[in-house]
Amino acid sequence: MKILYRESHEWAAIEGNTAKVGISDHAQSELGDLVFVNLPEVGTEVTAGDVLCDVESVKAVSDLYAPVSGKIVKVNEELESSPELINQDAMGAWICEIEVTEVPEDLMDETAYEEFIK
Amino acid sequence: MNLIFEISNKGARCATIRKPDVKSAKINKKYARAEKPELPEVSEVDFARHYTALSRRAFGVDTGFYPLGSCTMKYNPKINEEVAALEGFTQIHPLQPEDSVQGALEVIETLGGYLAEITGMEGVTLQPNAGAHGEYTGLLLIKAYHAARGDTKRTKVIVPDSAHGTNPASAVMAGFEIINVPSDEEKGVDLEALKGVVGEDTAALMLTNPTTLGLFEKNIKEISKIIHNAGGLLYYDGANLNAVMGIVRPGDMGFDVVHLNLHKTFSTPHGGGGPGSGPVGCKKELVQFLPNPAVVKTDKGYKFDCGKKSIGKVASYYGNFGVYVRALAYITALGAEGIKSAAEHAVLNANYLKVNIEDLYPTEKGRHCMHEFVVSMQDLKDKTGVSAMDIAKTMIDRGYHPPTMYFPLIIHEALMFEPTETENKRTLDEVIAALREIYEEAFKDPEYMKAAPHHAQIGRPDEVKAARQPIVRYKKPE
Amino acid sequence: MSDYLSTTERETKEMLEKIGVSTIDELFEDIPADLKVKKLKLPNGKSQQETMEIMSALSKKNKVYDVILRGAGSYDHYIPSMVKNLASRSEFITAYTPYQAEMSQGILQAIFEYQSMICNLTGMEVSNASVYNGANAAAEAMLMCAEKNRKTLITFDNIRPDTLKVLKTYASPRGITVLVLPAKDGVCDLSALKAGLNDNTACVYIEQPNYFGLIEDAQKIGEVAHEAKAKFVMGCNPISLAVLKSPAECGADIAVGDAQPLGLPMSFGGPYVGFMACTSKEMRKIPGRIVGETSDHDGNRAYVLTLQAREQHIRREKAYSNICSNQAYCALIASMYMSAMGADGMAEVAEACVSYAHYLAESLESVGLKIKYSGEFFHEFVTVSEVPADKILKALDKAGILGGLKLSKNEILWCATEKLSKAKIDEAVEAIRRVK
Repeated sequence: MKILYRESHEWAAIEGNTAKVGISDHAQSELGDLVFVNLPEVGTEVTAGDVLCDVESVKAVSDLYAPVSGKIVKVNEELESSPELINQDAMGAWICEIEVTEVPEDLMDETAYEEFIK
Repeated sequence: MNLIFEISNKGARCATIRKPDVKSAKINKKYARAEKPELPEVSEVDFARHYTALSRRAFGVDTGFYPLGSCTMKYNPKINEEVAALEGFTQIHPLQPEDSVQGALEVIETLGGYLAEITGMEGVTLQPNAGAHGEYTGLLLIKAYHAARGDTKRTKVIVPDSAHGTNPASAVMAGFEIINVPSDEEKGVDLEALKGVVGEDTAALMLTNPTTLGLFEKNIKEISKIIHNAGGLLYYDGANLNAVMGIVRPGDMGFDVVHLNLHKTFSTPHGGGGPGSGPVGCKKELVQFLPNPAVVKTDKGYKFDCGKKSIGKVASYYGNFGVYVRALAYITALGAEGIKSAAEHAVLNANYLKVNIEDLYPTEKGRHCMHEFVVSMQDLKDKTGVSAMDIAKTMIDRGYHPPTMYFPLIIHEALMFEPTETENKRTLDEVIAALREIYEEAFKDPEYMKAAPHHAQIGRPDEVKAARQPIVRYKKPE
Repeated sequence: MSDYLSTTERETKEMLEKIGVSTIDELFEDIPADLKVKKLKLPNGKSQQETMEIMSALSKKNKVYDVILRGAGSYDHYIPSMVKNLASRSEFITAYTPYQAEMSQGILQAIFEYQSMICNLTGMEVSNASVYNGANAAAEAMLMCAEKNRKTLITFDNIRPDTLKVLKTYASPRGITVLVLPAKDGVCDLSALKAGLNDNTACVYIEQPNYFGLIEDAQKIGEVAHEAKAKFVMGCNPISLAVLKSPAECGADIAVGDAQPLGLPMSFGGPYVGFMACTSKEMRKIPGRIVGETSDHDGNRAYVLTLQAREQHIRREKAYSNICSNQAYCALIASMYMSAMGADGMAEVAEACVSYAHYLAESLESVGLKIKYSGEFFHEFVTVSEVPADKILKALDKAGILGGLKLSKNEILWCATEKLSKAKIDEAVEAIRRVK
């Protein structure tokens, strides 16, 4: 499994031809307490860079972008009632699973991302 | 305090009605509800005390200073309430014969005429129920105008980054796409950026002038030229008209469509969040598209008139009629000079407040503001950790309503003050002294301020909890 | 002239000095001189007394009827004194939207109580803080239901004409189609509905009672809508909900309506208040303000505006609706009315309406008018007569009675409320008898 990051702070944990997608710990701390995750719909085809879904804090809403292209095959329904899981463990709280058709070349590995957010 | 459900006393009665003196008819059981709805049961004294207690936990213009920027919390004259409660206005059915409501039609026609004169427009509808509703209506007029000319490519509405959130939201509801334009260094529309985005697809530019920063858009003539040369129309968000009414008219600035907020500029009360009223005015070419029905004056009195090219109806009946009555009473009392002097004093009061605090509450330098101004507390926050929010909450402890916080979005740690014309110098001097003390306090005891308010009805509420596990209704305990 | 200013000339001068200008005009230097208006063409200002005289004279140019037999969306009900009196407290009237929760608990709690009462009346789980009026509530519900692949609203030609017009205005810019099916004997036709429903149907909208006053078999209609995976939206008269099956019992996804009958005067059509309530599934899509309960840092119960990330000031162009100001003060009055009446009082009002409506219908039949539809009605009904409607209404007008609403040359839509009495109805019927 390898974890890659987008500049817009989403991560994709790729294993075989599927990827779990979430947001980075840096992103969750910038957003503050999340109060709602507007989960994407299973079955939707996304292209890397498309708006995937959005997350809400009390006074803001932020779009999340798809780090990879493919079809959404699963969403983490636990987040519907417990959005705080992202605040508690951003790397563990995946938002959806994508059946990957393409991984863009400009994604960063962890070291590069750590450097990027400095 | 208790909810009215919690003081409910089974069997208690408050209002009662006369028993029908005809044979009782009942609804067929097939259609009847299984159980009666769970509503409070209270005696009259409990009712009176409950609502009196609620009112004492509300803060209105009558309670104290209310400098809520962009909301124009001016004093609401009492005569307007009395006038609006006259039986001849409240006890008339909206579908009465025209000849039995000539006074009501005259109210609509006269107020529309006055507003047309104040805005420099040629037609006005009063139908929209609030500002956002007015925006939506105005944008539908623009859509109809382009469509009638066969100009169907105009799908985009340009909105400055300092605009109210309603502007883009209304434009999307009206079926447009949004293009945001940045502000320039003086916080006006960036002309170069504007030139870069206008084109054959431009339907309109929506603009607030004075802008949401309380500054007059000096380049308005240039902006008007850019938009009109591209074939677009210019939309005026009247949220800030109070600064300039009687001094400059949107129509003369080049605007084609305008909405007003009677609940801001024309002193009708806000009622805790409505009813408002958002009349829309427009230039001659757009009048034919105004919502139906219009009221016209004829030799035989006032009449309803339905246009064939109208965008249709945007609300039930004719809109918030009771609000028009108040606004008409207000304009009648003020007249031409009063309207102008209200604007002048709104601007005077804002500038007076500004010059007395701007050494501590930094704002746009070197310019007079209009009826409101925006300060940035970023520097104070960097030095002490005390935020705009903390200052606002400390003002509550001192009995003042805070200014608008964190708007417009382009200013960090923003506080937007709009004192309005009806405040006097003594009040402003007291507020100035308080704000200066609050600033000092931020250095002395920042932690105390971060926990403010200390003497309010409640401490800071947990908004995260409210949004994560929403409780939006009372449920009887099991 | 009245100007409501409170600064004296001396103070103005001091203030200008402090600002560093000599005249107020200088403050307006950013405005191009050639754009300034010389003087508005408005009448001169008036004293308070003159203003009262002018406005009072205008009000007297309207005819106030002693007896009102007209409804059609605006209803003449008794308004309890305590509602009028307590609602007139100026803290309620002069407050803004409760942005600062710490000093607005009264307004917030009032809205929370309103939401709770609307939920209980409709049986739904979530209510917003209100929208502009009943027609706009229906339009907002339509926007809630529309999805990428479901863009048709189906309704019948027995809903209020104003609601239909507003639905159409709101539908077209969003690419929504409003399909209006013909009613059968005044009520929704189930077989027409079944035929009209398909995979593109976003929702079915009906009114209960409908425009002609008839009670719909709402539950059946809801079942049919749901079979096609369409949402079911009911527009309801809130007085009728005291006795009729609640929208929740009928399976509605969204319940809307105009709460004017709950303590608001007819006021020539406004301000009224649109209520909107939905199932918890739809909660994130409902537009407008919502008040929620939470606690402050000391654990005290507190109310706040919540779920704000749905709204235009945060979501901007991605918001579901542009609404910000609602009709909070009217919602307060509606909730006061419900508290003052209680469930029993409201049921009494509803039953009085039904009883007088049926007495009126029978009395009209006795002078030759025919009831047009065979279905059960609430407090409105349609008559057909050989005598032209105009003639009947004119005769009533002469007697100081506002008759029903003319629907066509020979058809009238009548309404009765608890404000009527046997004597008043007899007087009206007598006036009609004399027409012939």
